[in-house]
Amino acid sequence: MEISITKGTVDIISVNGSVDALTSPELVKVLNDHIHNGHPNIVVDFEKVEFMSSAGLRAILASVKEARTAGGDFRLAAPQPSIEKVLKMAGFHNIVKIYPTVSEAIASFG
Amino acid sequence: MAETQRQITLPAELEALPLFREHIKNACQDKAGLDAQSIYDVLLAVDEICTNIITHGYAGMDPGSIILNVEVSAQALIVTISDFGHAFEPVEPPTPNANASLEEREAGGLGLFFVFSSVDEINYESSPVGNTTRLIKNL
Amino acid sequence: MQLFFKVKQQPEPVVPNLGRITLSLLEGDPSTPFTIKQINDLPENIKRRVYRNLIPPVLLARFDIDPITWLGTNKEQRVFLSADSSSEKVFISARTSTSEDDEFFALELADNMLNGIELNLLLLNDPASSRYTIDKDEEGNPTMFGTVRRNLKAEAQAKEAGLAPGQIRNSLSASKLVLDQIDTFLATIGQRAYFLEPLTYASAWVFEKRGFAYVRGHKLMTTIHEEFQPGGALHKALDDSSPFRQQSQWDHVRGRAWAIHDGILDVLETNWDKLRMVKQVGKFANVNSFPNAIY
Repeated sequence: MEISITKGTVDIISVNGSVDALTSPELVKVLNDHIHNGHPNIVVDFEKVEFMSSAGLRAILASVKEARTAGGDFRLAAPQPSIEKVLKMAGFHNIVKIYPTVSEAIASFG
Repeated sequence: MAETQRQITLPAELEALPLFREHIKNACQDKAGLDAQSIYDVLLAVDEICTNIITHGYAGMDPGSIILNVEVSAQALIVTISDFGHAFEPVEPPTPNANASLEEREAGGLGLFFVFSSVDEINYESSPVGNTTRLIKNL
Repeated sequence: MQLFFKVKQQPEPVVPNLGRITLSLLEGDPSTPFTIKQINDLPENIKRRVYRNLIPPVLLARFDIDPITWLGTNKEQRVFLSADSSSEKVFISARTSTSEDDEFFALELADNMLNGIELNLLLLNDPASSRYTIDKDEEGNPTMFGTVRRNLKAEAQAKEAGLAPGQIRNSLSASKLVLDQIDTFLATIGQRAYFLEPLTYASAWVFEKRGFAYVRGHKLMTTIHEEFQPGGALHKALDDSSPFRQQSQWDHVRGRAWAIHDGILDVLETNWDKLRMVKQVGKFANVNSFPNAIY
């Protein structure tokens, strides 16, 4: 799994690869560090995430809580259909806002 | 369609998870009747079961082996996962409360929920010889 | 190949008393497994017939031993069985002469605490090869295959001669034959698997090739492989400081086994202990912790 950060009005954190029990701790760390370094609003670009298990969901849950505690919020952008299905099955669409594109996700921060 | 059976045995550590997924994807390559979603469903179920074995099954021990067997036929995709750790029977958890607020959401139980939602049949057998989980996805 | 397993101190086994094997038990479900103890409780001659299945006939034929009578060409006893009633162990050995020194095969199976079977000992020696006294120290005390004490001089000579740690003679190439026979024997008595604790890295590698998986210690084996690669901690510890820590030992099974026998795993803050392997009858796990290995 590779993570890259694109700076902007809202930073975009792009994840490439698989988010499973092996890689999710690293994702949590990167997201939380970013939130605590003065960026409580983040957009996570999932376009290149081709696999995610419940470990990935736990990572998202943890980071959403961090972002909101820090006074910001979390947007998830461009999940692939299989990943979106996983998110919906667990009811995560009621917890975190999911957008089909990164630009829509950024725009949602107003 | 000819049946394929492929086996891989790896240590029960998290590093094995992507290798197991790769093995299943390779076994599914070029098989007609296997759509991407069905393959994903099986990858997910297997990943959750193996994660449980790795984090709980061999807890307190030098990790032993996980043996993964993939069988692809025209009717079904069957994955058999054998391990020699503590017995950990997958029991269907309650459906996650999709309407619960963020604070109320529990982090646990999701893994097994996905297993039960992703495949059609789950058989679990535990004996002094070891544990075997059999996942069947009808095609 | 001479394969040794630790003869470990087991707690008192708690195999349920399934009772004697009676005709009615035999006429019952043929899948019911029998224990070693139950077989040991049978009359001598029946035991003998059953335990004949522990040694491949072709192995006995190699040394002109009759596979039915167990006698050599001079009509002397060559195969020795120890299977006392009310014991949960069976020990069987074969020699080319009456002398124990000419033993080429020895095997011990035992019931374990979980209604399973344990392979406690398997020796396959080439009686024609030179003998190295690694089994006794300079004062004549037993070394238990070099695990309790060591005879460093004999070990260095054995290593030089191409033996693996724990071996007193070069191996007899019969591990596949013998292990296949054990599978067949266990299937006959209804047992689906057996367990062992490999004495050395070399034995563990052989068992991997013969289809065993790990109950414990698979990760240790892959870590050992990684750390013996150039740049790894075990590779660095091969510093030519003794005959058992030569740099050249990193890339082959026996070399690594000698270094591990010598305690090199201290560098990883662990030791060669607690590994446990399992063989499912008729199945091969295809574990390969040392890809493209040279023995």
